[in-house]
Amino acid sequence: MSELLFDLTLTDEQRMTRESVQRFAAAEMTAVARDSDEAAATPADFFERSLELGLALMPIPEALGGAGVARSPISNALNAEDLATGDMGMALGSITPLAFVNTLIDQGNQAQQEKYLPLFCGETFAAATIAFTEPRATFEPTQLHTAASRDGDSYVINGVKSMVPLGASAELIMVIAELEGEGPAAFIVAGDANGLASTAERNMGLRTLELATLTFTDVRVDADARLGESFDLQRFVDLSRIGICALAVGTGQAVLDYVVEYCNEREAFGEPITNRQSVAFMIADIAIELDAMRLMTWRAAATAERGEDFHEQAYLAKVFCAEHGMKIGTDGVQLLGGHGFCREHPVEMWYRNLRAIGILEGAASV
Amino acid sequence: MKVLVAVKRVVDYNVKVRAKADGTGADLNNVKMAINPFCEIAIEEAVRLKEAGVATEVIAVSIGDKSCQEQIRTALALGADRGIQVETDGSPEPLVVAKLLKGVIAKEEPQLVILGKQSIDGDNNQTGQMLGALTNMPQGTFASEIKVEGDKLNVTREIDGGLQTIALNLPAIVTTDLRLNEPRYASLPNIMKAKKKQLDVYTPADLGVEPSAHLTTVKVEPPAERQAGIIVESVEQLVDKLKNEAKVIS
Repeated sequence: MSELLFDLTLTDEQRMTRESVQRFAAAEMTAVARDSDEAAATPADFFERSLELGLALMPIPEALGGAGVARSPISNALNAEDLATGDMGMALGSITPLAFVNTLIDQGNQAQQEKYLPLFCGETFAAATIAFTEPRATFEPTQLHTAASRDGDSYVINGVKSMVPLGASAELIMVIAELEGEGPAAFIVAGDANGLASTAERNMGLRTLELATLTFTDVRVDADARLGESFDLQRFVDLSRIGICALAVGTGQAVLDYVVEYCNEREAFGEPITNRQSVAFMIADIAIELDAMRLMTWRAAATAERGEDFHEQAYLAKVFCAEHGMKIGTDGVQLLGGHGFCREHPVEMWYRNLRAIGILEGAASV
Repeated sequence: MKVLVAVKRVVDYNVKVRAKADGTGADLNNVKMAINPFCEIAIEEAVRLKEAGVATEVIAVSIGDKSCQEQIRTALALGADRGIQVETDGSPEPLVVAKLLKGVIAKEEPQLVILGKQSIDGDNNQTGQMLGALTNMPQGTFASEIKVEGDKLNVTREIDGGLQTIALNLPAIVTTDLRLNEPRYASLPNIMKAKKKQLDVYTPADLGVEPSAHLTTVKVEPPAERQAGIIVESVEQLVDKLKNEAKVIS
């Protein structure tokens, strides 16, 4: 570790990874995001193409077919950020199986890891997801209404989950529920389990990704489907928050890059509009807010990576990124004026996507 | 079959290059650097030959100061087996590069050498051809397809107005054109593995070469700014301007 109190130098591997992921985002995501948003569907071969990066392979032990690199909240945050420069919906979709893998490694037992992890080491995209958010106004991440109860050698799950990425197509769903008499627990449910129904959601943003509402009606799983002995819900929520913050940072970066170029080229009164202070200050504010969002996110990730308590940092980052991410989205539209409002430019799409940051995993305002 | 691939560190193709104010060169301060795109195609082709069981080892070589190790590592992450850096000050001219590569070829004895047809900074399009002349190896330039058949290499070349396929005796030199392949993204697991791969550093003296400059850059300047267009009022005026101002018709 560095002797410096505050060192943001990336390792060679992190730098190379960022380059590769950013290239992927520009070529495979940015270029198709608009059409995908209009069609409200992920491009057909996107997830297969994303396999080329080998995201989910990273933390899986070599013995099970993975790369055997220690799971790293910092690398996860950088990957989410860089993918989101291409498109937030597709970025969330491509890190969803990784979140499943990471949670399984973080909180699952050896037998569960041996059973499920090899699925992610094959040649085809393994759709796996985590069902966590619940559809109610007062949703609080640590107060789950989805309930599980023990019944002989199995568990029975009942409840409704919303905004589940890849919800309808996932082969494996990790559902977080309140286990009667014990507290929060996670269960691995097959995508085709009896009693499980999915409804496609139609949302304001993240339209490039399939989000579904999942209804669990007496869904029965074997006792060994329960993740580990107990489930650390707060740790799971805090790690997810870092990921959501990173998505906001990446999308915010896309906005900043776009408005800088646009406003330098757009002329009014015979000169680029960036010569107007009202425009220049607004862009400068985006750059400042974005850097603050990034630093808070990286700090939370670095604290998590060191194995220290990062709950507070993750929470502060989430509140800040939700508020300022949404503001960057609004300002992006404003800076382009009428052009920002129409669909010819991507800023209105980024505005709609950034709006999700304030909603994912519980509204920041509650 | 051993394959040697040359990779050059250049300004990333997305960067808008600016000339230095004093005109001595391009401004490389805080500019993003990357593998020359044609060299990346060369690496990809070599890795595909290895995946197809034709090549047994892919070696990436770069010439320059220590910073070019970044590009060698990227080549290793894309699938090359080991790397070689020939340490020089800055980026030498094509003839020196060709001589140094000849030295590396003498050490490694590859059956196939793949280079980009040109680098996007100097745009010289000379190194591959010079290397062919220095080593007396047959060369297939501007390749859009290559195929190894026994001890022969079929190279389809992009030439004016069509394609030409030639058969070369191995060992041979190939320079890549844009359509040879579409390079992959370096996968995250391979980026981690790249660090553990062997990277040897040679000096020009190790290769028996004395780098001597034959070229001097006199001046680097941006293209002249385009003048604003005008709207002509009549066909006669247009013809007059084309004849007398632009002098494109007579």
